[in-house]
Amino acid sequence: MTKPRALDGVRVLDFTWVRAGPMATRWLGIFGAEVIKVEWPERLDSFRRNVVTVPTGIEPGPNSPGMFADQHVNKRGITLNVRSNKGMDILKRLIAVSDIVIENFSSRVMQSWGLGYEEQKKLNPEIIYVSMAGLGQTGPDHAYTTMGPSAQALSGQTFLSGLPGQPPAGWGWSYMDDSGGMYGAISALTALRHRDATGEGQHVDLSQMTTGITLIGSAFLDKTVNGRPSRRPGYPPGNRTTWPGTPVMNNYRGPTTAPHNTYRTSGDDYNAWCVIACFSDDEWTNLVNVMGSPDWAKDAKFTSLAGRLQYQEALDQGIESWTRTLDKYDVMERCQNAGVRAMPVQSSENRVEHDPQLKARGMFSELEHPVVGVRKVQNAPFRLSKNSVEINRHAPLIGQHTVEVMEGLLGISHREVAEGYNDGTFWPSGMPMYAYVEEALR
Amino acid sequence: MTIPLTSNRRGPLSGLLVLELADEKGQFCGKMMADLGANVIKVEPPGGQNTRRVGPFLDDIPHPERSLYFWHYNTSKHSVTLNLDTADGKAIFGMMAGIADVIIESYAPDYLTSRGLGYDTLSRTNPGLIMCSITPFGQTGPWRDYQTSDLLHMGAGGQMASTGYNEEDVPDAPPIAPGGGNAWHMGCNFAYMSIMAALHYRHVAQEGQYIDVSIHEACHLTTEAAVPTYIYRGEVVQRNTGRHHSVGPSFASQIESSDGGWVQTTGSGGNPTPRRLRGLAEWMDTYGLAEDLLDDKYLDLDTFQASLPHINSVISEFIKQVPQEEAWRGGQKHGYPWGAIRTLDEIVEDEHLKERGFFTEVEHPELDRTFTYPGPAAIYNGSPWAISRRAPLIGEHNVQIFCEELGLSKGELTALAEGGVI
Repeated sequence: MTKPRALDGVRVLDFTWVRAGPMATRWLGIFGAEVIKVEWPERLDSFRRNVVTVPTGIEPGPNSPGMFADQHVNKRGITLNVRSNKGMDILKRLIAVSDIVIENFSSRVMQSWGLGYEEQKKLNPEIIYVSMAGLGQTGPDHAYTTMGPSAQALSGQTFLSGLPGQPPAGWGWSYMDDSGGMYGAISALTALRHRDATGEGQHVDLSQMTTGITLIGSAFLDKTVNGRPSRRPGYPPGNRTTWPGTPVMNNYRGPTTAPHNTYRTSGDDYNAWCVIACFSDDEWTNLVNVMGSPDWAKDAKFTSLAGRLQYQEALDQGIESWTRTLDKYDVMERCQNAGVRAMPVQSSENRVEHDPQLKARGMFSELEHPVVGVRKVQNAPFRLSKNSVEINRHAPLIGQHTVEVMEGLLGISHREVAEGYNDGTFWPSGMPMYAYVEEALR
Repeated sequence: MTIPLTSNRRGPLSGLLVLELADEKGQFCGKMMADLGANVIKVEPPGGQNTRRVGPFLDDIPHPERSLYFWHYNTSKHSVTLNLDTADGKAIFGMMAGIADVIIESYAPDYLTSRGLGYDTLSRTNPGLIMCSITPFGQTGPWRDYQTSDLLHMGAGGQMASTGYNEEDVPDAPPIAPGGGNAWHMGCNFAYMSIMAALHYRHVAQEGQYIDVSIHEACHLTTEAAVPTYIYRGEVVQRNTGRHHSVGPSFASQIESSDGGWVQTTGSGGNPTPRRLRGLAEWMDTYGLAEDLLDDKYLDLDTFQASLPHINSVISEFIKQVPQEEAWRGGQKHGYPWGAIRTLDEIVEDEHLKERGFFTEVEHPELDRTFTYPGPAAIYNGSPWAISRRAPLIGEHNVQIFCEELGLSKGELTALAEGGVI
């Protein structure tokens, strides 16, 4: 028997688009919420136009980007013209029967539609409303907009990544979209707990940029408590905890130690790298043994932490002369079996095709999508003993569930729905319809 | 027993009793719950959790009560000390677990079970208990017992394969792991989410459950386009300096401003339009640096799109001539989602954050001082977030919890201390 889902019966009206918002509702959908994504074909979610992830041989279109297919699993999708009176009326009826409304528009867009929290509350006194604007709904800069990279920049996340004396390396993707998405789900679920306990809904005003600052807390306190400036020699310290030749100090990557770095492994693959870190004399001694006790490593200057920090360049060169002779997974196995912390730098291909841990834990399952076919889909990083977190619904084709939701949820008659397709409420007048939409209308 | 220690009684999680047995891997999950109103009791080994030994320290003087790292991650919590390797320690923990709503733990797999404190045992007397384990690889699988660190997770999880430098910018650069302990944050964010989902399920079904969170999987799921690009296109992304990974070359979007700062323009991100460009170009023209961007040909969408590489390079050249603050705010005023690459030196002075009430003053009565802490990610308008107290001192609440709540006498407490139990 399949397990029940944690959020069975929780309905989410989803106005999110691009990345951060859709990731929030992806997780809510995986917990079993009924997520209804509201779209309009003339103002497409930019990820429906993400041509760089359309599989080769498949015609680009709103239903073909891989990114969209991955981030919208376990959701339904409707098309609704909220700029028409009739569409707005239907939207209000949807809010009245939903538990959570969530959006990541620029600040105060919902207010400009006449659907700020106070208005939503009139339609549904217990509604939970989560807004996910870049800088939030209040404050002098609330109207500014962010993408992941600019939110990361403003939050201080970008600056703490990179090699000293070089430009910031930042994050190689929109970390604050992925994390911002998690916080969208976190906000909605926290407000749901409050409602379960008190019967009261509320508006949660999430800010993507602010979220980033909460994730650099020890650096923050080092500034406000110790007054330490961020612009200083040796900071950020690359992958090390402290940069050789600069004053030893904690740079917010855990305990100050060496070795703690990236090392090249055998082969010329772009990702032929591994990472090794030793947090005690014992772990270092174990590493020396794994390396076959080479003469350089037995030098007395490396026996103490102080020495390893002082001679970090020589230490790292010595270690790399060993790792260069081995495959990165071989380095990991030899080290881990000997009580040394080491892992490979894994590419996306490594993780999908090779990583035995992800495989054993069922990270990927196969899901059929009518346009992109049978593809691997990424599952959740949590297992709940009583609840299913299975992915069993492919990303909605645009407008796929309009008829189902209008008739099934709102009880609008089939005739009225068909009329809404003729008067531009459910589909733009004059735009050709997809076969699956016509099929649903039959 | 009631444990009436919560001070943020208006928070969305008020009324919940949470036990936290966690080091760097799980402490952030406990902080999120505590600041949102849950009564979180940190159960530390006698002498204190090892995370108290991580810097930076107040005035750079190392001491288990002066770790700013510990301070940040343990706000609003209470602390008791307990040795779970002793019979008394196990018994006392069992009493607390009998009335807890949630247990967060980050011990190695089997650690608690081997001490008779696994979920199956604890839930027998408390079927509503939700227990969440946050471990490097989860409770199963071939890597289950491997030792890790934040850096190692960033390597294995895929963060480093996406982050670093173009060869022409920094030759022979390694893949880079961004700092700040974010592997632990990713694990804790998902742990928190699962606990909330389980709380809702308990509200409906009246039963608790066990949750197994893998930090490795949490990291793996936080690399955006890298995996879909492989799954759908069979392509592996490369690292670019200060911007998104990509398959093949991409346009540099991190531009050095005239005062030596950096501005992130997000490339063509943010859906630029001919109309927005016109506004931006008029502003650039006031510096005499609009080049040909005011040409009417860019009002034509096709020409505009075909010219984006040229437009982007004119904008980049412009930013190089303008101070950082002026540049990014000017872009924002014209609808471009730019950002300054700020350090905390600027962030702590930010007027926007001040007005949103982000900066949170926290009293440290033991030092007779008050410090500024980071505020919340989100403003909960109906049930406010708050730091109800500074991080606890080691075993600060032993008397309150063990004597006043669990009914031990001061004499028994003394015996427990002498016996190495607390």
